[in-house]
This record gives sequence, C-alpha cells and structure tokens, in this order.
Amino acid sequence: MGAASSIELRSVSKEYHRDAFTIPVLVDLDLSVAEGEFLALMGPSGSGKTTLLNLIAGLDRATHGEVIVHDQDLGLLSEAQITRWRADNVGFIFQTYNLIPVLTAAENVELPLLLTSLSRKRRRQNVATALRIVGLEGREHHYPRQLSGGQEQRVAIARAIVTDPYLLVADEPTGDLDRTTAGEILDLLQLLNREFEKTIVMVTHDPLAALRASRTLHLDKGRLVNDVIQEARVPAAS
Amino acid sequence: MKYLHYILRNVRRNPVRTALTVASTGICLFLMMILVSFFAMSDEVNTGSRVHNRLATLNANGFAGVIPIARVKEVAALDGVEAVTPFSWYGGKYKDEVMPFAMFCVDPDAVFRVLEELTIPKDQLNAFRKNRDGCVIGRKLAKERRLQVGDPMPLKGDTYPVDLNLTIRGIYDGPSDRDLRMCFLRYDTFDEAFRRVAASSGRDVSQFAGNAGMIFTKCKNASAMPAVSRAIDDLYRNSDYPTRTQTEEAFGKMFEEMMGDLRGMIRLIGLAVVFSLLCVAGNAMAMAMRERTTEVAVLKAIGFDRGRILFLVLAESMLVAGSGGALGALGSKALFAWVDISPYTAGFLPFYYIPWSVALQGLGISLFIGFASGVGPAVRAAGLPVVDGLRRVV
Repeated sequence: MGAASSIELRSVSKEYHRDAFTIPVLVDLDLSVAEGEFLALMGPSGSGKTTLLNLIAGLDRATHGEVIVHDQDLGLLSEAQITRWRADNVGFIFQTYNLIPVLTAAENVELPLLLTSLSRKRRRQNVATALRIVGLEGREHHYPRQLSGGQEQRVAIARAIVTDPYLLVADEPTGDLDRTTAGEILDLLQLLNREFEKTIVMVTHDPLAALRASRTLHLDKGRLVNDVIQEARVPAAS
Repeated sequence: MKYLHYILRNVRRNPVRTALTVASTGICLFLMMILVSFFAMSDEVNTGSRVHNRLATLNANGFAGVIPIARVKEVAALDGVEAVTPFSWYGGKYKDEVMPFAMFCVDPDAVFRVLEELTIPKDQLNAFRKNRDGCVIGRKLAKERRLQVGDPMPLKGDTYPVDLNLTIRGIYDGPSDRDLRMCFLRYDTFDEAFRRVAASSGRDVSQFAGNAGMIFTKCKNASAMPAVSRAIDDLYRNSDYPTRTQTEEAFGKMFEEMMGDLRGMIRLIGLAVVFSLLCVAGNAMAMAMRERTTEVAVLKAIGFDRGRILFLVLAESMLVAGSGGALGALGSKALFAWVDISPYTAGFLPFYYIPWSVALQGLGISLFIGFASGVGPAVRAAGLPVVDGLRRVV
C-alpha cells in the first residue's frame, strides 16, 4: 500500500457474553488501513463486519488487542475521551439515515457542530457548505419526511462531513436505496474519498457497492478470509 | 441556549401527549393552588396586620361569653391605647336576601381610627357620627347591591330579634386584602333597639344587653402591645367576665384552629397530587425516550456525551412540567386577580387571591416534578451503550 497507516488493528478479538455463553465475534484480527483509503467490508450476516466497524469508529471496545486510529490507541481512552474523539474524528453514515425527524435538513447537519465552540453564523456557513457538497442546496428547510430516501442519506452524509472528520464510517449506506439512488450515494462517497481525501470504511452486502471502494475485505466467522485491492475500481458516474 | 431549539422541537414532537401532560399538571396545580392559598393568604393577611398594632379582646370563654360595653371606656383609658371600639356581630340579612354579609356594631367615633387602613370621606364619617340611624358599608358591597349614600338599609336580625331600618351615611374603601363588604352600624343604636325589643317581649335578656361582643384596641405602638394586653386581662381577671386579649394576628390564627388540622390535610392532599403528577409526567417522559432510543444512540455516536444527553432529557421534561406549572400556578394567580369569588362564598371569604409565594412555590413544584420524572429516563438514555441503541436499525 505504501501510504501511512491510518487504522491499525493488532490481534483484535471481540467477544460478547450472553448469559453463560461467550460468543466470539472477531478472532485475532490484524488489519492495516492506509490514510485516504476507501475500504469495503463484506461478508455474510454475523461475520463481524459491523462489530469491526464499531471498533474502528470507537463505538465499541475490543476484548483483546489494540485498535489504533490516527495514532490514537482507542483502548486507552476513557468513555468521555472517546466520545470527544468521535466528535472530532469520525463521521457516521447509517443504513436508515437516522436523521432527527423533528429537525430540518440544515438543523440535522448542524447537530455535530453544536458540540463545537463555533459561532452561530459560522455553524450556518459550514452547514451550507456541507449541503452544497452533497448537492442539497435549497433543501435546507425541508424536514426528513419531505425528502426522498436518497436525499435523506445525502443529509446524513452532510452531517457526517460537516465537522471535517478524519474518518467516515458507513454501515450499509445504500441498503435502503434503489439501484440508481445507491449509485449516486456511492458517487458521493467516492468524491469525498478522492477530492477530500477522507478515509472511508464501509460495510456492505452489495458487491457492486464494494467495487466502488479501493479495497475490499471479506470476513467470515470473525476472521479475515480475503483482502482484495481493486486496481481498476468502478469510477464515479460524475 | 444553542440546544433550546432542539429541546423545543422535541417537546412539540408529540403534541397530543405534550398537551395532555401539560394540561394534567396545570389542572392539578391549579386546584392545589386554590387549596394551599387559603392558608397562605390567611397567613399573609394575619402577618400583615402586625403593622396596625391592634389587640382583640374576647371573653375568656370565647365568642359565647359576654364583654360588658362599659369596658370599652375602661380599656381606652389605659396607658398606650390610642383608640378602642366594640366589635359586636349583628347576625342579620339585608332585605329578603339569603346571602348574608358581615355586619358589626361599632363605635362611630373610634372604628376608623382602629381600622386605620380603611378610608372614608370626612363628611360621610361625620354624618355617620351624627345620625343614630346611620351605617357605613364597604365599596364592594355598595357596588354589588348598587347602593349609594342616602339609600335605606333595612336589616332583619337573625342572631338577635332586632330589625333595624338604617340609612347609608358613608361608603368606606381600603386595600384589596381587606373585607370591603362589611356593614358598620352604631353600637348604641343596636343596643337601644335590642333593649326595647326585649322589654316589649317581656323576656329577660339582661345578660345579652350591653354586650360589646369583642373589643378592638389600637395601641400607640408595637412596644406598648404586650403591656396593654396584660393590663386588660389583669383588670378583669377576677371579675364575672374575665377576658382573653391577643394580637390581631393571633386572633386570626385562632379562627384557623377552629377548623381543626385542615392545614395538615391539605398538605397530604398536596403530596398525593405531586405523586400522581410524578407518575403522569414520568410515564410520558419514559414513553418519549423509549421511542427515541435510536436517536439518542445517534447523538452519542456523533459525540454528545452523557452530561449533554442528561441535560437535554431533563430540560425537556422540566419544560413540559414547567409549562403545566406556569399554566396552573400563574394561571390561577391571574384568574383570582381578575375574578372576585367572594360573592359566591356567602361571605365566608371576603376576598381571595393566590399569594406570589404560593404561585412561585407551585412553579417550583412543577419544575421538581419535571426533574424527578425526567431523571429515570435521562439516566437510562445517558447510560445507553451506543451499539445497543443502534442495533435496532444497524
């Protein structure tokens, strides 16, 4: 890969405990993701994709091993520190968008900025910029119910990038969308990866979506079974 | 302040539920304000009477006992006394009315010096002094009955078999927390009529004739009050009619005590109301937060820490309950400032208002209800593991 390592997982295991049972989800996983890489995680249900995504995003903690993101060992951070770290470094994109229904598109995008010390004027400028990047100028005052699924996901992407995070994590971002709209969202993610040099980790079941990434990891039963680097990935439609 | 917008939107998320919660809080607090205010208002009025340096003297056996009218002059002669008036209850009714108002037999020369907060034009007071058939009524009574100076005031005696045909010689006014529906008639007129009626009926009513009922004494200053009080009671300690003298404030409280432990009962009712409101508001908040589990998880994922989540949920809960409190407590305050309920209480409550202390207490209670009902859902939301919260959709 050659580039500086952005995400480093060393001998990472994750287990869940349910009553008397211990369920291994990730087993002794080693992984290195370069800065600016667009990584797709694939695998059957229960293979540990989302768990791996959660560990990288600082939403969950490994049972064993080290998760280092952007030179920060996440295992060393307290609950409050890792919350702050997420606010500064990670943008989240969910399958079902997870917008706040009572807030407009602009207000949804503004949410992460409320955690900063930016002035109201500056926050509005940043929101406008984020919405422009995702192609939603003129929709600032629309509520989620007034938007299509693709537009909602664009708002979610704008919310993810508005603080200019280092890393974007996307869990099935096109799972609820039709083929055309999914293509547009993937175009947008590619744009963010190429033009804005965001490191992106995306979980997907869709092989066509995975082809948009620069690298695809296949997981099965918590283990890495295949690591494919797309030399000639599908280019963005635009 | 930057979260206010988000909090307000959440409050309006389910308008019906919010409206019902606000309404239930508001109505319960409204009723509670009415109950609690009775004593608070009474306390306020009693405490406020301190500035007038007045003493009330009754027979040691209470209202049933007699105070000879001659004692009014004897008390007036004591050191430290500024003015004294008999204050004898004339239980009667105006014309054929069923709803009574308070009528007292007083000394026209002294009554407005003793009740100094009541005002009356000088010429009207003089007319009251000069005319034995005269009486003076309060401004509110005059307004309600459309009575004017010079109008006849025929009274039918209930407590005493004495009917009086009086003429209104004056209309007094005073602060809003004073009874402005009383009728003052001259003691000498009443006593004379009473003796005449008793003589014509051949009944021996000598023990009730010349009874001042109660003596109201205004002292020259507050420091003179203990000595005057002692002196009055000492003077009659070994007489046929021993007295009990107390401050006007203590006299007012004595009336409350006659109602038994009503205050304690109202406290218990208040606690029950607060508890039921806690259940209502707590349920509404718990439902609201259960519906928003994923949203809370998203907020936590994007960087909202425990403290902020706690704050957002508690602020929402307190805003809803506080709105109910404002509606109930401040609404009742405004309503009773605007509507005079005394005509509907048969004279039992000459005035009624919600003291500011009670209204603010009600607002405080509603905020407490909001806080207490929000704590559980807030702590649960703040402690929600992000991964668990997102699992519903991820």
